[in-house]
Amino acid sequence: MLSLIYTRRLRAAAVGLSVGALVLTGCSSGGGGGPEASEDSPSESAPEQAQIAFADAKASTGPAPEVPGATPGGTIRVLQRDSYSHLDPAQIYVSDEMSLATLIHRGLTGYRMNEDGTYAVVGDLATDSGQVSDGGRTWTYRLKDGIKWQDGTPITAQDVRHTFERQFAPFLTSGPTFVQQWLAGVNGAEFRNLLKDGPYQGKHLGNDVLETPNDSTVVFHFKDPQPDLPFALAMAGYSVVPKAKDTKQKYDRAPVASGPYKIADFKANKSMTLVKNPEWDPKTDVIRHQYVDKFAITFNHQYEDSSKRLLSDSGENKTAISFNNSVDAASLPKVLGDAEAKKRTVSGFQPYVGQFAMNMDRLKDKRVREAIAYALPIKSVLQPYGGPPSGQLAGGLISPTQAGYQKDYDPYDKLKKPEGDPARAKKVLEEAGKVGTKLTFAYVNTPEGQQYSVSVASALEKAGFDVQRKDLPADTYYDRIGTVDNGYDIYHHSWGADWPSASTVIPPLFDGRAIADGAKNYSHVNDPKINSEIDRIKKITDQKKAADAWFELNKYILEDVLPAVPTYYFKHVQLHGSKVGGVVFSDVVNGVDPTRLYVVR
Amino acid sequence: MLRFLVRRTLGAIVILLLISAFTFFLFYAVPRDPALLACGKNCDSESVALIRHNMGLDDPIPVQYWEYMSGIVTGRDFAAGSCPAPCLGYSFDDSAPVWDTLVDRFPTTLSLALGGGAVFLTVGLGAGLIAAWKRGTWVDKTFSSLSLVLSSMQIYFVGPLVLALLVYNNEILGQPSYVPFTENPVEWFSGLLIPWCVLSVIFTANYTRMARATMIEQLQEEHVRMARAKGMSGRTVFFRYAWRGSLIPIVTIFGVDMGSLFGGAIITEATFALPGLGTLAVDSVQELDLPMTMGVMLFAATMIVIFNIIVDATYALIDPRVRLS
Amino acid sequence: MWRRFRRDRTGMVCAGVVLFFFALGLLAPVISRLYGKDPYTLYGQDRPGLLNEYGYPIKPNGGIDGEFWFGIEPILGRDVLTQLLYGIRTSLLIALAVTVATVVTAIVLGVAAGYLGGRTDYLIGRTIDLLLAFPAQLFFIAFLPVVVALFVDPQDETPTYVRVLALIAVQWFLGWMGLARILRAQVLSLREREFIEAAKLSGASPWRIIHKELLPNLVTPILVQATLMLPNFVTAEAGLSFLGVGMVEPTPDWGRMFAIGAKVYQNDLTYMFFPGVAMVVFIVAFNLLGDSIRDAFDPRTTR
Repeated sequence: MLSLIYTRRLRAAAVGLSVGALVLTGCSSGGGGGPEASEDSPSESAPEQAQIAFADAKASTGPAPEVPGATPGGTIRVLQRDSYSHLDPAQIYVSDEMSLATLIHRGLTGYRMNEDGTYAVVGDLATDSGQVSDGGRTWTYRLKDGIKWQDGTPITAQDVRHTFERQFAPFLTSGPTFVQQWLAGVNGAEFRNLLKDGPYQGKHLGNDVLETPNDSTVVFHFKDPQPDLPFALAMAGYSVVPKAKDTKQKYDRAPVASGPYKIADFKANKSMTLVKNPEWDPKTDVIRHQYVDKFAITFNHQYEDSSKRLLSDSGENKTAISFNNSVDAASLPKVLGDAEAKKRTVSGFQPYVGQFAMNMDRLKDKRVREAIAYALPIKSVLQPYGGPPSGQLAGGLISPTQAGYQKDYDPYDKLKKPEGDPARAKKVLEEAGKVGTKLTFAYVNTPEGQQYSVSVASALEKAGFDVQRKDLPADTYYDRIGTVDNGYDIYHHSWGADWPSASTVIPPLFDGRAIADGAKNYSHVNDPKINSEIDRIKKITDQKKAADAWFELNKYILEDVLPAVPTYYFKHVQLHGSKVGGVVFSDVVNGVDPTRLYVVR
Repeated sequence: MLRFLVRRTLGAIVILLLISAFTFFLFYAVPRDPALLACGKNCDSESVALIRHNMGLDDPIPVQYWEYMSGIVTGRDFAAGSCPAPCLGYSFDDSAPVWDTLVDRFPTTLSLALGGGAVFLTVGLGAGLIAAWKRGTWVDKTFSSLSLVLSSMQIYFVGPLVLALLVYNNEILGQPSYVPFTENPVEWFSGLLIPWCVLSVIFTANYTRMARATMIEQLQEEHVRMARAKGMSGRTVFFRYAWRGSLIPIVTIFGVDMGSLFGGAIITEATFALPGLGTLAVDSVQELDLPMTMGVMLFAATMIVIFNIIVDATYALIDPRVRLS
Repeated sequence: MWRRFRRDRTGMVCAGVVLFFFALGLLAPVISRLYGKDPYTLYGQDRPGLLNEYGYPIKPNGGIDGEFWFGIEPILGRDVLTQLLYGIRTSLLIALAVTVATVVTAIVLGVAAGYLGGRTDYLIGRTIDLLLAFPAQLFFIAFLPVVVALFVDPQDETPTYVRVLALIAVQWFLGWMGLARILRAQVLSLREREFIEAAKLSGASPWRIIHKELLPNLVTPILVQATLMLPNFVTAEAGLSFLGVGMVEPTPDWGRMFAIGAKVYQNDLTYMFFPGVAMVVFIVAFNLLGDSIRDAFDPRTTR
């Protein structure tokens, strides 16, 4: 119902950061006479992420297997909260735009959900997920036949080259930078020096970096092994842009579609209509379908609004859905308590892991950090964001959406005592002789942030700390805690993986060489073993071995170093109208998979 | 009349210029950086500098202000597209032209203000006139005390209360929402019914009191008494003569109320999650979307100023004795 | 005057109610001590059995019982009664400060404009026109964070008093114009009156005239307007807290209770009941008191 001042996104602050922290602020809680959350949570997507395979040419050949019962035709109404800020793939990095991108944009690779609910990285425009050679340094992609832009012209290797070259242009600042950095062989923004103004001044990347020997072949040459390239290329940010139709900044408002749908009409902040793209050939696409004639998207539907419309299931709401809106927490008891409505829900994890970072520059005694770990009431941190349907309490740093997750890992008994264990914390603190240690606790000044801050401060005080609270404005929260000399001892943040491997989680958060203003090593941990392990594991080309190694490193980080205390893995529940079929929760876009939807006749 | 309008319009423009300068300089001078917000996940100082440049934030503030103001008159050209006059810049948040968004959001606010205004004007005036007509009776007392209690209720208290009782627990009415009138007049009406009524709760009392007081005053005025002495029935006097004179104060407060409502009924819109200018303002402040905040602020101020002029002009139409000077 | 007021029974009752609220605010710590609870302890989180898994009170009606008279707050599990008492204390303190600040400003500028006339009058008049054209609520929301940011180093904690001062400052900035206009008009008409002329002729200094002759005649409008302004400031401050730009945790605040109430009302309507009813009673009483004071000072007004 309410849209209080903080409930909308601070979307620009990026997918893994503030958006994660604020995505759930519209939620409060169920409760009252509502059902018990634990019994009544809706069916979930695969709770433990199986290994994701890099598929071969056979598994990458279209068309995609039919969705059982699907019929073509009809219009689906899509209720979205936020208007799309970016349509240029190279600017796309937030989840709602990623959902949209699955319908209109295509990249070299993509994720396909298998019948059994597992995922594979397949070739999307490319014939397979990539041919690797030279120990992971060279990746070769061949384009499929029959792939076309919405204007009917074929998608060529030159377009792919252009796609990557333009990523170096200075006006593209919002998208992912992995591939650019790998191509340039550097970390950080210096990658732009490789091709200062992008391809627009007639300069191009050399054949030693990006090679296009013919119209259907693209070869990437990296300085270091990059075993995760197929994952990276599956990001919406690396979808292709046509060389002939690139309008630079203006492309962000009117992109050229390569997927099964194209934009017929877009009024920012109001509505968007997607219609079938007749040039899209299902035989070239193993991921997507084209059942629905039209998607009629409207914006400004707060979670309360979309939940109530979908719950009512009246009139045109029968064929309505939201790609990204969650059920607001106040409606959860009603939705989950009503057998009919509950059947129309899907639920699953978001990639974010909430955690308290402890500033290693200031909290040098590990026993003090242990006391904090025991004292923290992780349940009370999740509670303001909606309780159990909004998250699963966390024991480790690797979330259920990532390879290698282990459910029972709980080194500090946080799952057994989610309210915190002040007595044990106090004992640890007494043994260390540090009772009364001053602890500066920074938190984000949102209604939810204020609420958890009260619980956390109270728990830490009970454990014997002298807690100093600092509220930081929501808009600059991540900026402040990201300053090396921030002056705070503990602060909560959430970080989401870019693909289902810990390689986009542990290195940015715990690599000691990455400590800098604005970097994500919020706890300023600089441990030689962590650093060397990161380098070692990054080069492991066997996914299974890499996943196990990341988990071992996670254990070492938490048990031997302890720079952070995980709190919870983000989750959400989504609702849809009774006449929408093919609704599955996708762990790739962390919401409803738009490509399988159809109208039930 | 014409001279009056020209003079007042010039005055209004000066006021709006001052407001824009005040708002602009305070906002842009404060050490908060919208570029950081837009910077994204792989942010570093170089990217921030790039974005700041792209947003035009690295120019000196007076230069930015000049470009902003001249853009309103002449339009501007941005990398993302040209922005015809009146150009209020591009949103930092979704890079849509501010003016387009304002135009998109205004119908919601307008519907809320007009509908709410119709409710509180008719109910307020009606109750006030009846109270004056039945002065001293139980009707008068009931109306007066009811309006007093209602006016003391706050939207952020009544709103959730009404929603809980009528929508959530008993499903008598649907969830408030905004459907454009042109799209579906019935849904437009039913979706806004609750917001109109709740918005009216706090305004009505003012009109009841004002109508009652001025009416009683008017009934004691010379020309009214004269009419009555000439043998006109009480009802004729009441409805033909007395109410005319009580219009002026009502017009004044109605104009002022409308002026402020047209710029966005922030708490009402927030309470019912209506996508109007009020919620737009709240969102854009929160997201450091400076062009959008400036746009809403200027728009709202313009509405206030315009309505002030309308009010003054209406005086002259109602009461020819009022000189426009 | 006082006698006339005392005969007004409604007025007396309302004065009693208003004083009662101020007493509640003033004596909040004492009452809490007697009642045995405080507004900061998280009873619901510390003690199992009070809140369910979603964070809502398990007992019906918001958890009201012999121990928690007004129930407990969802999620955090604090005591609602003491929260409300301390919240009233915060809100009334702020509203009172804004009232004093605006009244003083209005007196200074209104009297200056009316008495000095000429260029001063023009300048003040145009300033008032300008400020009246600001969209007030939008201004508060937009500028509260700005004001706080101006006075606090980004790296420092925002002290509670800065937040209070910022709240007072923005409301004061757009609050004084109405009264100033009224006072200016009064002074203009008084200035022409005989006793002022007489004082002028007798060679009294302007300060003495303002102080001894003008101000005593302005007491009535000032008092009446102030009683009308104060409840408005209370609701305005609460509105800001409701929108999320007012006082922050853990300072108890009346308005923030509405923000929380609006979040939980679907599952715990009771929580909002006490702060809501308390505010209605307070505002009604204050408005009636304002009427009574006006009647007492100026018996001609028709009621």
